[in-house]
Amino acid sequence: MNARFVRGVVAMAASVCTLAGLAACNVESDSGSGTASSGGDKSASPAQAKDLKVGWSTIYLTPSWMQQTLKMLEADVDKLKSAGKVSSFKTFNANGDTSQQISQIRAMIQQKYDVILVDAGSSTALNPALEQAVAAGITVVAFDSLPTSTKVIRVGTDQKAWGSMMAEWLAKKLDGKGSIIAMNGPAGVAVSEDRWAGAEEVFKKYPDIKIVSNVHSEYNLAPAAQAFASAYSANSDIDGVFSQGGALSAAALQTLIKQDKKLVPITGENYNGFLKMWESKKKDGFSSIATAQPNYLAVIAMEAAVAKEEGVSVPQDITVPLPEITDDNLSEFVKTDQPDDSYPINDLPQSEIDKLIGK
Amino acid sequence: MREKLTVAARGNTDLLGLLALLLVLLVAYQHYDSSLLTPASITILSAQFLPLILAAAGQTTVMLLGGIDLSLGAVLGLSMAVFAIYEAQGAGGVVTAMVLALCVAVAAGAVNGTLVAYAGLPPIVVTLAASFLWGGVTLVVLPQPGGHVPGGLVTAYNNGWNGVALPAVAIAGVLAVWKLLRTTRHGLALYAVGGNEHGAYASGLHTRGVKIAGYGLAGAFAGLAGIGLAIQTGSADPTIGVPYTLNSIAASVLGGISFFGGVGRMRGTVLGALVIGLLTNLLLFTGISPFYQLIMQGVILVVALALKTYLTREATV
Repeated sequence: MNARFVRGVVAMAASVCTLAGLAACNVESDSGSGTASSGGDKSASPAQAKDLKVGWSTIYLTPSWMQQTLKMLEADVDKLKSAGKVSSFKTFNANGDTSQQISQIRAMIQQKYDVILVDAGSSTALNPALEQAVAAGITVVAFDSLPTSTKVIRVGTDQKAWGSMMAEWLAKKLDGKGSIIAMNGPAGVAVSEDRWAGAEEVFKKYPDIKIVSNVHSEYNLAPAAQAFASAYSANSDIDGVFSQGGALSAAALQTLIKQDKKLVPITGENYNGFLKMWESKKKDGFSSIATAQPNYLAVIAMEAAVAKEEGVSVPQDITVPLPEITDDNLSEFVKTDQPDDSYPINDLPQSEIDKLIGK
Repeated sequence: MREKLTVAARGNTDLLGLLALLLVLLVAYQHYDSSLLTPASITILSAQFLPLILAAAGQTTVMLLGGIDLSLGAVLGLSMAVFAIYEAQGAGGVVTAMVLALCVAVAAGAVNGTLVAYAGLPPIVVTLAASFLWGGVTLVVLPQPGGHVPGGLVTAYNNGWNGVALPAVAIAGVLAVWKLLRTTRHGLALYAVGGNEHGAYASGLHTRGVKIAGYGLAGAFAGLAGIGLAIQTGSADPTIGVPYTLNSIAASVLGGISFFGGVGRMRGTVLGALVIGLLTNLLLFTGISPFYQLIMQGVILVVALALKTYLTREATV
């Protein structure tokens, strides 16, 4: 009897604590969002965005690219806040779970956000939720990993062009013949498939280039190194490597250096670890090309959303040109004092941003 | 009458605790979103929770057999892909696509069950291997996100059909079937084999057949979850199913399903899935930093489990 009483007390206490905890969270968020409730008086002053309530739902937040993007985005938000255009900015991390991202978007609709930025975990699954947000009068801007919906503003790079740019350079470098290993991202992921589609088109024009192995790996150094090592041990007489991501390129180059093999051309990305190795091996005749998924996509998306709220006719699809890093301008990008796991990129001038978003 | 109530309550002490937690979450939810109890919200939320509830039901079926299914997310993805790639036109087409997707999912589950039953391999090993197998098959069927579900169906499912929350109806239907099944010879056999395989065998049950049927049933649940997810999102994505594997295990464990088989109720699993679903939504509303949300989610689940174990210890002593 006594034991049961104690249990009852514990159960009651637990419930009370939960309620109290949730109430506390509420207070915190209220003070955090400031004057959010007054947000987005669109009809009164169409020329000037005011006190917008902005949320960013991202499929991942932990990778360093995302961290860098968040920093750039926050810097831009600070600027917009002091201009009085944005009142609150919240980040939602779906941690790889697309269903979770759908819930996040629905939560933002229910909480009457003015602007939703999204880095989509699936190119199709978010469409109904995003379109519902648009129907509710919310400005929705997607960047980086894009949904296929045509009702939202999409800020991205042309991933097929990425693949063909890399493939074209490699094919020319090899004078149109030789055997190569292809290092691709995870199977079934839109970005990876698109980049490869672009590359494949180019390789078709060069029948003497043989793809001896097509490797799929996560965009991460450790798994990529393993994947490359096993492909390379079976085909150690290759003339080049087509790689569609910086960590994949770094893994390939690192393997060649470690095994003291010939440094064949490897295509790359602005992953600092790769750029550093490239810089240090340039004198040994290593040559590469790299492009970038620039972090400023997020800033362009943010600016596009604010412009849309101000009545600017922002284009539905904003394709940001891919930067090109070559043997000649490598030194402008590589940051020898920064960790491998960063993506050096220079800010895009405001005039360029304005041009892209149709101002 | 009163005695009857007490007896009923005592039999379900663990569920009462979970129910209390759910009520607390609902009250808090109502505080943030006052439209919670309107038909529109119920439709949206049930559409959102359906895949997890059904995936957890599938996981529960396997766990009742004393196994664990690490391929559940992959089977869910496979059925989603098959359903969406059929590009159904009209009602007949949708039904055909559903049947097709369900058959594939049941077959996948039955293959898992056969390997467990006849190869005598531990379920965790078989289903881990199967998760790669079905994940690969899904990529063959649908190499990248795509497929199509009729727009009318997507709208009816997500926004209500003549005011009826279709996902909620679907969940209720599935649970009713489970309840019926549980009272039959087959349902009892499931519990018997999970609780004491040798005993079940000695008393004349065809334990291998029961296992294959059980895994097949789990495949059916996962398949329905995949179809639900496809209708919710209007398309399919070959990699979307993965998180459901672990989430379904979490919901089942929270719902009181034993890892050792034979113990637990489906209603507990449903409550567990609802708690997990509501909790994640609620944390979004609170607006705390995303990393703290993950920490909070973990802490609340551990505390809930610990409390539940503590509060229900009486039942096992």
